[in-house]
Amino acid sequence: MGRKDYVGNPVQHIRVSGTMTVDQLMQQFRNSGSFGAGRLATACDIYEKMLRDEECTIFLALSGAVVPAGMRLLVTDLIRSRLVDVVVSTGASMVHDAIEALRGHHYKAKLPLNDRELYKYHLFRIYDVLVPEEDYVKLDYRLSEIYGEIADEKKGASLSSREFAWELGKRLDDPDSILRAAYEENVPIFMPSVRDSEFGFIHWLHSSQANRKNVLNLDAFKEVPEICGICRDSPKNGMIVIGGGVPRNTVQSATLASKKGLDYAVVVTMDRPETGGLSGSTLSETVSWGKVKGEADNVMVIGDALMIFPIMVASVVERLGKDFRREPVLQRMKKGFSEAK
Amino acid sequence: MLERGKKAKFCGNCDSHNAYDYPDRVFCSTRYAQGKDPIVDTLWFCEDYNPVSQECYCVREAQRKKKSP
Repeated sequence: MGRKDYVGNPVQHIRVSGTMTVDQLMQQFRNSGSFGAGRLATACDIYEKMLRDEECTIFLALSGAVVPAGMRLLVTDLIRSRLVDVVVSTGASMVHDAIEALRGHHYKAKLPLNDRELYKYHLFRIYDVLVPEEDYVKLDYRLSEIYGEIADEKKGASLSSREFAWELGKRLDDPDSILRAAYEENVPIFMPSVRDSEFGFIHWLHSSQANRKNVLNLDAFKEVPEICGICRDSPKNGMIVIGGGVPRNTVQSATLASKKGLDYAVVVTMDRPETGGLSGSTLSETVSWGKVKGEADNVMVIGDALMIFPIMVASVVERLGKDFRREPVLQRMKKGFSEAK
Repeated sequence: MLERGKKAKFCGNCDSHNAYDYPDRVFCSTRYAQGKDPIVDTLWFCEDYNPVSQECYCVREAQRKKKSP
């Protein structure tokens, strides 16, 4: 490469005005093109491209304390507006969604905090957010009853985590709930690490009932053909990752197993690549596995997802305008098949 | 945290009990497993927090035992 091949446009300095919209600020970030601002602007461009690409299925991978931090409604709105097609989540995020669906709350902690005192007051801490033990316990009680209902209906048949999430959403009446919105909008939620959450541990309470005939069964392998089938059938696939971990790996591995590879990838994380862990692994590293295509539009934004993701969504929604409508490609294809019949 | 004039209440830390309506009612998983109403009143409460786990037995039974001489 020659000298001039390394040099792009000059950095334009960010100008802020009092009446600026989110996307106008994002355009300033793009003109600067530098550091985190440049990466965030690129993330917005890629997400917009995914949404305007009529052949793309968009996976949202959620890990970390997304719901306790306050992004529950954001995810619900994305589902209801069809701005994501598939959610892959830790069990824990959906547990926190269910806590609020059952009228529990997450509370802002008043500083300074004393964790020993929190323990004696039965208050659980997630950084600077608190969850009262009773909100968990009320969830446990209700979940155990729901597990019983599902088990009696299914009579021993096993469910995938997607089917389990759908059954939960059916039984929650809160329109702000992620699980409820996914149930109503027919958006699949996969929870590949569902056992490693309150959903898993409450199974003990459910199965401890002396008079219980049927016990809820989940099959960890049942969802593999389900999620791989989505990747295989979709002409293109894109992912937005909040955090990383099992949800990110599940999306990436599904696109690899289905021999598709991702066409678009945005990762918002605080993790670093040096440990060799997946959450911080670069998207370039992911290309070496064939999980992300070499020519894919991709960017990693290093930062707190609670700040990054709402700004990203606000900017892109502003660009799309209020008349933008999107029908997921697989739904459109299915409709096409049934019309052809 | 505490209303003026009220004493602090810390419910027993039995292995089978969790706060249901802190600090007055608990969820008893032993009663739940037996098909009984699992929501019961807190057996006793301490004004000073006791971090040691209490002996685990049915709250209602324990209350009855406490009342009878």
